[in-house]
Amino acid sequence: MARISIDPVTRIEGHLRIDVEVDGGTVNKAWASCTMWRGLEAILRGRDAREGWVFAQRFCGVCTTVHAMASVRAVEDALALDIPPNAQYIRNLILIGHALHDHIVHFYHLSSLDWIDIMEIPKADPAKAASIAEGSSSWMGNSRRELEAVQTKVKGIVSSGQLGIFSHGYWGHPAMRLSPELNLILFNHYLQALEFQRKSCQVVAILGGKTPHIQNLAVGGVMNAINLNSLATMNMDRLGMLQAILEDLIPFVQQVFLVDSCLLAATYPEYFKIGRGVSNYLAVPDLPLDAKATKFDLLGGVIMDGNLSSVRPILDWKDEGFRKAVTEDSTHAWYQGGGPLPPYKGETTPDYTDFKEDAKYTWVKAPRYNGSPMQVGPLANVLVGYATGHALTRKWTDTAFDQIAAVHGLKVTPNDMQSTMGRYLARSIRSSMLADLALEHLQLLTTNILNGDDTTYNVPQFPTGEIMGMGMHEAPRGALSHWVVIDKGSFTNYQAVVPTTWNASPRDQKGVPGPYETSLIGSPVVDPEKPLEVLRTVHSFDPCMACSCHTLDATGKEIAQVKVQ
Amino acid sequence: MRISAPIAIVPVSIIGLGNVFLGDDGFGPLAVETFRCEYAVEPVAVEVLDLGTPGLDLAPYLYGRKLVIIVDAVHAALPAGTLSIFSEHDFASERAQLRITGHDPGLWESLAHLRLSGEAPQELIVLGVSPESCGFAEQISPKLLSTASEAAATIAQLLMERGVGCNLRNEAATPNLWWLPAVQVNDAAVA
Repeated sequence: MARISIDPVTRIEGHLRIDVEVDGGTVNKAWASCTMWRGLEAILRGRDAREGWVFAQRFCGVCTTVHAMASVRAVEDALALDIPPNAQYIRNLILIGHALHDHIVHFYHLSSLDWIDIMEIPKADPAKAASIAEGSSSWMGNSRRELEAVQTKVKGIVSSGQLGIFSHGYWGHPAMRLSPELNLILFNHYLQALEFQRKSCQVVAILGGKTPHIQNLAVGGVMNAINLNSLATMNMDRLGMLQAILEDLIPFVQQVFLVDSCLLAATYPEYFKIGRGVSNYLAVPDLPLDAKATKFDLLGGVIMDGNLSSVRPILDWKDEGFRKAVTEDSTHAWYQGGGPLPPYKGETTPDYTDFKEDAKYTWVKAPRYNGSPMQVGPLANVLVGYATGHALTRKWTDTAFDQIAAVHGLKVTPNDMQSTMGRYLARSIRSSMLADLALEHLQLLTTNILNGDDTTYNVPQFPTGEIMGMGMHEAPRGALSHWVVIDKGSFTNYQAVVPTTWNASPRDQKGVPGPYETSLIGSPVVDPEKPLEVLRTVHSFDPCMACSCHTLDATGKEIAQVKVQ
Repeated sequence: MRISAPIAIVPVSIIGLGNVFLGDDGFGPLAVETFRCEYAVEPVAVEVLDLGTPGLDLAPYLYGRKLVIIVDAVHAALPAGTLSIFSEHDFASERAQLRITGHDPGLWESLAHLRLSGEAPQELIVLGVSPESCGFAEQISPKLLSTASEAAATIAQLLMERGVGCNLRNEAATPNLWWLPAVQVNDAAVA
């Protein structure tokens, strides 16, 4: 029996430690430990509820936007405040821009090197690679010249022996199986993705005023002034600019990202049998279409025990089932207290004990839905959509399945999606859906403005008594909810139940492990010195531990101890 | 077919890195905001950004730039408030032994990616400050608060040495230091 401790897990946002016990080449026990404390809840208490979002978007250095959005939605929920349609569309476009950016970066820059072997690229035949790539996609960036140029760069790095950021890859691992040509094609897209990462940020910046940390939100709407006759406000020029960026960005999502994830799926079909983990799924509705948020473009729902036909839709944010079901348990987390508490009554008082696998071992609490652990993220989003017959989800899921079958001769079913590879594939399916929805919401915004509606904000009025509210967002990593208690316009409690908390959940009071932990059980580990298989499954969740305490380790000591010479 | 970027890339970026809730780690955002308020630059030529702690998401803000100046708290055994200037070469060559700032991994990886794709900034400078303390929910130390104007002047000098227009404002604008308690914001205004 071997005990492997991966600390830190690299190529993720933030600090995560994974411990596994391997027996006979298979994982039989696993622990996920977040080694940072997120203390922003303490900072928010006592603040003016109208400015909470400014602080909340610093929950994370990377997904700033999502916390800003969940925060204003929580306060608006407490006030039962309507949001003008223009503000809904502008917010939706920001959320889509952010999500596309996030998904592209995850696939190419944070996880693709688990599957691509850089050292194989010099052996590729660029002409053959170009013909393969052009045969499976209409994307213009797959020319032989382009691929030759990338191969030359990689040859330079490899022959110099100075691998730099690529020096820690598991090159030559037996679980790496792409041909030299496919390695070259994917690495070419890895580099091209940088341009599209930038373009999706532009969408957020144009509407949000700045990225990261958007500036345009307000409890009650957005602060974007709309005036088609003014140069300084939201006008036809800005809308046209957004259209141009989206038309540039969308082909990369639908003809490159989606196609590449199908290629990975076809090359590594065994990962449809690995990493299933917790097969309870939770997604929340998002992209509201009206002022009262009664209709949504993305569906929410709950699936238990992997049974897609059991799906319970969550139709809107008022869903009582969701509000009553969510609790957080600190039995195995470094906080005082133990058993489950509803978020409105949640506590965040640190109680650090060091890593004790049978007691407290992480800064992440254990969220539960009616007492059960839940998996959240693009896979939950896609499975709920597929199970409820959501047309757009079906369209892109079937497109992916058809692509894998047509080009690679492999039949994939919705049930196969409950796996490590399913999580990768779901992220590109969801991105393709969001790309369609971006154009739709830009059209909705434009039409509404042209119809003469320039309202973007309703003034919030705070009552004197205590009020409570919950704001949801289906973030890139899954269901996010902020829960607030407000008295006289200031927060008296603030709890965020974030996607990575659901997925990186430790064991609960009953000893039931969370999704990361469960997904690793049964995973093969060919070489305990190079646990690539474990990384593939952990990375498939797109871990984002990046809270606000990134320069501190668990003891509050600075991690980087260096001397400048 | 790829369409050219509808928005021109601003050639110079002044970037503040750091977590505003970790005491002196928030010096980068403070320094760039101070610069923005004390100096006037041509907006089409220079953008001034508080990027917080973006990790790999730094890449879009370095992409295709002529000049990038990053202000950040550095780990150095120097008196608090000491400013140091590092070129890209300095930390490339020292890379094997040390990390200059807590935000190096993201910076280093973003740069390596951009270099491979041919879009790395032509020049990158890190203006570092030695922090006194980077504790959670701490205020910024008085020493670093009073160093912000010096950092802004250093940024201005770095720009002017490279022919980028930059003028001291007759009257400084009021900085938006939303994360600091009011008493510190007043101190900053007096300084």
